[in-house]
Amino acid sequence: MRRSHRILPVYTADVSGVCSALYELGGMVVIHDPSGCNSTYNTHDETRWYRQDSLIFISGLSEIDAILGNDEKFVADIVSAARELRPRFIALVRSPIPYMNGTDFPALARLIEAQTGIPAFFVLTSGMHDYVCGAGDALAELAWRFVRPPERVRPRSVNLLGVTPLDFAAEGSAEAMRRALEERGWQVRSCWAMGDDLDALACSGEAQVNLVVSAVGLPAAQVLRERFGTPWVAGAPIGAFADELCAALECAAETGACSAPCARRVQGRSGPVVTLVGEPVSMGSLAAALSLWFDCPTRVLCPLERHEGLLAPSDCAVRGEEGVENALKDAEIVVADPMYRYICPETVRFFELPHWAMSGRCYQKRLRSLFALTEEQCGTILRKI
Amino acid sequence: MIKLALYGKGGVGKSTTICNVALAMAEQGLRVMLIGCDPKADSTLSLRRGRPLSTVLDLVRERRGDLALRDMVLEGSGGVLCVEAGGPTPGMGCAGRGIITALETLAEKGAFSVYRPDVVLYDVLGDVVCGGFSMPMRTGHADRVYVLTSGENMSIYAAGNIAMAVERFQGRNYATLGGFILNRRGVKNEDEKVEELARSFHSSIVGRLDRSELVQEAEERGMTLLEAFPDEQVTEEYRCLARSMLSGYAEEWSC
Repeated sequence: MRRSHRILPVYTADVSGVCSALYELGGMVVIHDPSGCNSTYNTHDETRWYRQDSLIFISGLSEIDAILGNDEKFVADIVSAARELRPRFIALVRSPIPYMNGTDFPALARLIEAQTGIPAFFVLTSGMHDYVCGAGDALAELAWRFVRPPERVRPRSVNLLGVTPLDFAAEGSAEAMRRALEERGWQVRSCWAMGDDLDALACSGEAQVNLVVSAVGLPAAQVLRERFGTPWVAGAPIGAFADELCAALECAAETGACSAPCARRVQGRSGPVVTLVGEPVSMGSLAAALSLWFDCPTRVLCPLERHEGLLAPSDCAVRGEEGVENALKDAEIVVADPMYRYICPETVRFFELPHWAMSGRCYQKRLRSLFALTEEQCGTILRKI
Repeated sequence: MIKLALYGKGGVGKSTTICNVALAMAEQGLRVMLIGCDPKADSTLSLRRGRPLSTVLDLVRERRGDLALRDMVLEGSGGVLCVEAGGPTPGMGCAGRGIITALETLAEKGAFSVYRPDVVLYDVLGDVVCGGFSMPMRTGHADRVYVLTSGENMSIYAAGNIAMAVERFQGRNYATLGGFILNRRGVKNEDEKVEELARSFHSSIVGRLDRSELVQEAEERGMTLLEAFPDEQVTEEYRCLARSMLSGYAEEWSC
């Protein structure tokens, strides 16, 4: 029963993660699934659904096609739609039924690419993993296929990797990250993947350093490291931590070494431990900012699958509701999505930070931008709660 | 790395043939890995001399993510690396999906990069009845498919079905048809029937194996023909088949 959830919802799944990562890039995403309704994957998990178009389709897999392995219909439908819509790429996404059937998606992608002349690829999904896996692998696929070898590397330039509304849903988050870096003398070449198109991403090889602002960005950073030797730094420019992060960027630019300052934060010594729950890079960065502002000890609980190298020694990877509940038993101050309030001890002082990948639209009106948090606000909130 | 798959109707002699071929290739100095893709997990029996081997799926079932490559691979006669994919409890689950999971698990654990075999042989159960049983012929697995058949009608029918599947998948860049192997059962016009089958697929017979009591006798002793009767004429047929299956890869190994 360790993985069962009685109270908490599960995080957005890998399939929606792919849709979110590729949403603005002019490609066509096709989910092979019986559901004819996109809301299963997008309406609930996608902040942009009602204001921005994107070519996301569900195949409408029928029972008989699944049983008989009728892949030809899937291929023919995609080829027909692609010829009409001319997307920049075609991404195939697997839901649990074709996963169980063992449908050979890489082969189908090759067929579709051969028939349409449009780059087609499969993102390894099954509907059974969290969004970090799907979104991360989708961006990594772009890094392999679309980023051109750079003619020259531009000094003091970065790409922001891992920017999706699933982690940064508050309006203006991507712009705030850009501003924070530009104010410190760093030019943002591209943002993966909000606010920039595929052409901008294709020039990412020119950046001197890649800034991984969420765990979603790490696989793409590793690909770009392998292809062009670009170093990466993991952390989001939140509050007082932005200066430290930029110092790490300088160091990476100078030495070529990769680092995760969000996991190397100095522990504060004043007051009770502040426990932050969620995505490791953004929560680690916020923890670092809190430590710098208030000298408080912090720990991050990460309920997501991918966190290797992104957690500090005081942090903890937890699985399932029971795992989080146990880890929160002795917590005094908790910073997390409001859903977590229901599994915290009553004595906990709880600071709400809605996380779209956890609670979707439930707390849309209470969304806060991590980048708008100031020392004064956090101090007031921490004292009040 | 050379990757070859052997298909054929159940009971036609695939496992006996592939164990002897694996050992014949090992005799030539090649490092061979034999992966049994049959839920019965008996493909590598005669190379193991009775030693037990946990199947990949048993390990996945028992240990979930916490399984080591060394638990799935056993070094058999002649240093042949034996692996059994295994399958669900008979009558339950999905055997085809099991093959996919087993082969994916082996790849995830880096079986080929760790053991670095020169040749990987897949012994695949019966007919291509579902997507799972086409897994060994998919891109990244076998490059060539060989079909073992006797002159019996049902065996020829199954062989034709397998060859058709290989043909059908050419658009997906799957394995190509390496040829047919005739395992003689003493049926009337046996050679002619299988030759006709091969011709209909623009292919050929790459090996002919005589019916011999020595094959059964070696099996009774729990070993391969190459170990039990290394100097017999019928044993030489398996060596010749091994060379034939390697043709086109490297001159020194092929005939």
